[in-house]
Amino acid sequence: MTTSPDPFAGASDAAVLVAFANGDGQAARVLTARLLPRVLAQATRLLANPAEAEDVAQDAMMRLWKVAPEWRQDEAQISTWLYRVVANLCTDRLRKRRSVALDQVAEPLDGSPSVAAQMQTQARMRALSDAMAALPERQAQAVSLRHLEGLSNPEIAQIMDISVRSVESLTARGKRALAEVMAGRKAELGYDDDEPE
Amino acid sequence: MTMTNPNDDMLDDLFTQASAQPPAQPSEDLIARVLADAAGVQPAPSAHVIGQPGLWARIMDAIGGWPALGGLAAATVAGIWVGVAPPASVSDLTARLMGDTVSVDLFSTTLLLDAGALSDG
Repeated sequence: MTTSPDPFAGASDAAVLVAFANGDGQAARVLTARLLPRVLAQATRLLANPAEAEDVAQDAMMRLWKVAPEWRQDEAQISTWLYRVVANLCTDRLRKRRSVALDQVAEPLDGSPSVAAQMQTQARMRALSDAMAALPERQAQAVSLRHLEGLSNPEIAQIMDISVRSVESLTARGKRALAEVMAGRKAELGYDDDEPE
Repeated sequence: MTMTNPNDDMLDDLFTQASAQPPAQPSEDLIARVLADAAGVQPAPSAHVIGQPGLWARIMDAIGGWPALGGLAAATVAGIWVGVAPPASVSDLTARLMGDTVSVDLFSTTLLLDAGALSDG
């Protein structure tokens, strides 16, 4: 008998979740290995804060464990469901930021150019995340799924349970509002002398 | 009025940078927390999946399974039948082993009546 790193190789995520609900001892580890990286990546891109992203990822996975006994395999794909859960949890976090003053953008000080560039990238990501916090939640979710996750409009429509036309409207309005919010921070984010190509 | 906005360039660049960020890998600590959460809420496995054999299965195992049970049943029926209607050979055998004075006389009606008469007298 050969040992496989994934005892559920070839089985769908939903099938592994059913095994989890039936008490299988390997299922949680397999699902964590399959799903947690993507969940964490989505939260990190939208929140631009590693600690907050980890909390959201843990919370999203906890919701998955809890929903397992009632999961209906024909209802939705787990990946779709998780996109929705993470988007909701992230916009909850962003809403709480609104009452807090926007973070100061870290100035790239001395150090190698790569370090300075990395710091500037982090500052820009944080600024983008903070600007997302200023949007209505549905707009922030649609914009993040479209422009940060790179999903198609039909995929977003399924995740958000709305029509494709509504997705188009939300992303267009959200992007416009985002551009206005970001306009005031153009100089501090280095976009005056660092024009994007 | 067109939708072209000078800030769109900045926004598109920010989106591109965000998407290009190497995805954060879950730390060991986060994985441990997630698995601990899972262990805390996971339903217990069904008893019949890993449970011990039931009482009947254990009895069957002790006596040797179905063949032994069949033999046991046949012996029981034969024993009952011999008790109800003993064949002549069994009667002959008991007579030879125990002598002619057998219990049949003890339970005969006349003997009981005689015994009653004797006790009265």
